Amino acid sequence: MTIASVVEAALHETVGLSTDECLKCNICNEVCPVARVDDRFPGPKYVGPQAQRFRLAAPVPINLDGRPVHSPDRTVDWCSGCGWCTTACPAGVKIAEVNNRARASMRAGHRPRLRDWLISQTDLLGRFGAPFTPLANWTLQNRPVRWLLELVLGIHRKAPLPLYAGRSFRSRFKRRGGVLGRVGEVDLPPPDRAVVYFHGCAANYYEQHVADAAIAVLERNGFQVIAPPQNCCGLPMISNGLYPAARSKARHNVEVLAEYARLGYRIVGTSTSCTHTLKAEYAEMLDLHDEDARAVSAATWDICEFLLELHEEGRLDTGFGRIDLDLPYHAPCQLRSHGIGLPAMDLFALIPGLRAVDMDHDCCGIAGTYGLKKEKYDNAMRVGEDLFRRIDASGAAETACDSETCRWQIASATDRPSRHPVEYLAAAYAAADATGTADGTAH
Amino acid sequence: MPSADVAVIGAGLAGLLTAVRLAENGARVVVLSEGNGALHWAGGPIDLGFRPGARSAAAVVGQLARRRAHPYAVLGADVAPALDWFQRLATDLGLPHAGSLSGGFGALPTAIGGIRPVSIVPEAQAPTLQPWAPGERLVIAGHAGYKDFWPRAVASSLARPEVWGGFSRPDQVVGVAIDWPGLRERRNLNALRIAEHFDDPDWRAAALDITARAVASTGSGPVRVGLPAVLGLRDHARVLEDAIQRFGTPVIELPLVPPGIPGIRLHDVLRAKLRALGGRILIGERIARVEATNGTVTAVATEAATRDLTTRVGALVLATGGIAGGGLVGDPDGAIREVVLGLPADGPPIQRWLHGDPLDPASLPIAAAGIRTDDALRPVDPLRPAEGPLFENVRVVGSLLAGQQWMVDRSGDGVALASAWRAAASLEATAAPATRSSRGAEAVR
Repeated sequence: MTIASVVEAALHETVGLSTDECLKCNICNEVCPVARVDDRFPGPKYVGPQAQRFRLAAPVPINLDGRPVHSPDRTVDWCSGCGWCTTACPAGVKIAEVNNRARASMRAGHRPRLRDWLISQTDLLGRFGAPFTPLANWTLQNRPVRWLLELVLGIHRKAPLPLYAGRSFRSRFKRRGGVLGRVGEVDLPPPDRAVVYFHGCAANYYEQHVADAAIAVLERNGFQVIAPPQNCCGLPMISNGLYPAARSKARHNVEVLAEYARLGYRIVGTSTSCTHTLKAEYAEMLDLHDEDARAVSAATWDICEFLLELHEEGRLDTGFGRIDLDLPYHAPCQLRSHGIGLPAMDLFALIPGLRAVDMDHDCCGIAGTYGLKKEKYDNAMRVGEDLFRRIDASGAAETACDSETCRWQIASATDRPSRHPVEYLAAAYAAADATGTADGTAH
Repeated sequence: MPSADVAVIGAGLAGLLTAVRLAENGARVVVLSEGNGALHWAGGPIDLGFRPGARSAAAVVGQLARRRAHPYAVLGADVAPALDWFQRLATDLGLPHAGSLSGGFGALPTAIGGIRPVSIVPEAQAPTLQPWAPGERLVIAGHAGYKDFWPRAVASSLARPEVWGGFSRPDQVVGVAIDWPGLRERRNLNALRIAEHFDDPDWRAAALDITARAVASTGSGPVRVGLPAVLGLRDHARVLEDAIQRFGTPVIELPLVPPGIPGIRLHDVLRAKLRALGGRILIGERIARVEATNGTVTAVATEAATRDLTTRVGALVLATGGIAGGGLVGDPDGAIREVVLGLPADGPPIQRWLHGDPLDPASLPIAAAGIRTDDALRPVDPLRPAEGPLFENVRVVGSLLAGQQWMVDRSGDGVALASAWRAAASLEATAAPATRSSRGAEAVR
């Protein structure tokens, strides 16, 4: 390693070196949802800035070249990655990111646990499961099978797994003549009249109603939707410390999406965790700093952020019909990491009759794949306990949330549906169209 | 782009109180804070000002107000009404604070076995405002093995009369270490975890019972019980009531190293109050830039994952703190920068930033660095104050105001209260109705 390469590396190293700013004030330990419920996790301060001194003592101070950097113990693995520590830190230390990298270092050079590998393969699971939807769904809902899955793989038998929705969104989109190709393969409308849709795995395989709602809302506002080839954003792999696999997913996405980004198309996603991964984690976690990655990051929008921006420009069709509904809303941790405020709440305020309440709870517990794991399921349920209790007490018939895994967790724990905010916007447009028949329900 | 009548930057005591006061008056407020504010470190007392030998906080406020450089020179008259409002608000929110401007000082023992002169304290520290009766003892009790609180060490320090600095003191101080149920097995025990235990009525009954017996075993006669400040987080009032009832004695919560449970309680209720009044609070928001035209701030942008989040605002309140809070940064060349607007700061030359014994609070003249303002708390150029405010719709509150040696004057909370009061009143008086009806105004709820 030359001096120049160390300097070059340090320029990009905004994560590991941020621990320099730590005052040891304990605010991160105080806000940590996992430390609140599990003593085995010493808290973000201990496994993050404090353990970092051991990692910095390693021969290569920063783990940019994939070499393992040592943690004093394995407790960092209890971190769910919700990111609250980073949000609450008054000194700007990227605690959650430091912890995630430490976990990846711990895993580097070892074969991943089968379970961790499997639940990270959201693409693969979708592609293989979708054609066998009835069988797959029967399996996922079958108690003995789930018990066996827990025993053999370590996926908790009660953990909220999504159900397949039959044919994938992509194949249905293709059937109705949607634009699915890469730049050069398809005729494109101008970039101010079209957006690139990053549907992610959830909307592709499990929640096509979310994709349908997004397309309806975008088209209503004059945007044609393009869905170029894409794979999993890579976040489940990042969360499970499988960086090399995540990097290969990321590179493919960046290659395809950058072509659009450079032409001025905006990339809009309905999964707030996917959009955050495109925006920030490719650089922060996977060290993708090239021009293409930067172009994709700059072009990416969470759908509510995008729609609110349209509203600001005076371009959002606000002809919303009435939806009479009390709606508890949970802002997912990933949304907070975006730093875009609460755009869904601002959009809800435009729908007559909709009484949305921000539940102001830190984390629902699931944290992507964390709550699926046998040993972490109880933590996940206890982290979200207060949220579930208050939703139950509210008597509301359904809840809203921008992130799919949170929705599955909340729906499963509170036994009522949880929907993406864009579904309410689509329903409100539909209610406006069906004049005189607005019955006040959102579907 | 969301919008708000007022954006408050900073979520410490000054920021939250300004936001609540404005929201009470009907303004749509958004609080933007880089992280959780300094209240999470606070031990409970509201410091209005202290000088050795002073008879009351009112007298110190008066003294400081006569010093032209101190914020009280502008705000002195507002301390009383602001305190009155704060005490009524805190009572409404279930955290009554005892004491008054004219009521004199007491000595609050701390977890390192020292004392802190106090005039306004939460209910759980109120007994420190009463003089000790002849023969009255202080029993310091805490969980054995809780590394932030060593009851016997605290007691042996407090047993030395000179520690009390001339304040009324107990005849005798004893420490007892107790095994609170189930804590011995717990790793990583911190104040927050114990406070959550106290919120649980069954655990609390058992813990208070063991504590009461341990206290009784130290002897008879009048006594006050000192405990670490962990008596409940969400259900504090009930925990305190139960403790007083079970012990049959006054109870004193001793401030600990951070996290500060009394401060977190206050933060939580103020946050909830602000939200109930329709305000929004966003944490993790670092200010990227502020847009202004002709000396009027129009929008504030915060850093986000990819592009800044811009919020259109009718007015801006800077509650970012001084050098210690991060609202000011001292450069190696001696320049002192205000981080949000780049306002010209008033402060000592670099040769006098620090001097003398680093453990002496007076060794940090740089702590007095800050922003000079007019009477409405609008920022002015410290070299050309007569030229008027630099921004028409900006207010400066809390420890960012120049001229405070808060560790020496112990006036930090008083400045926070009075400046929140003054800033809210002055913004209320000049509220620009245009911002209230602008498009998108319904967006921030």
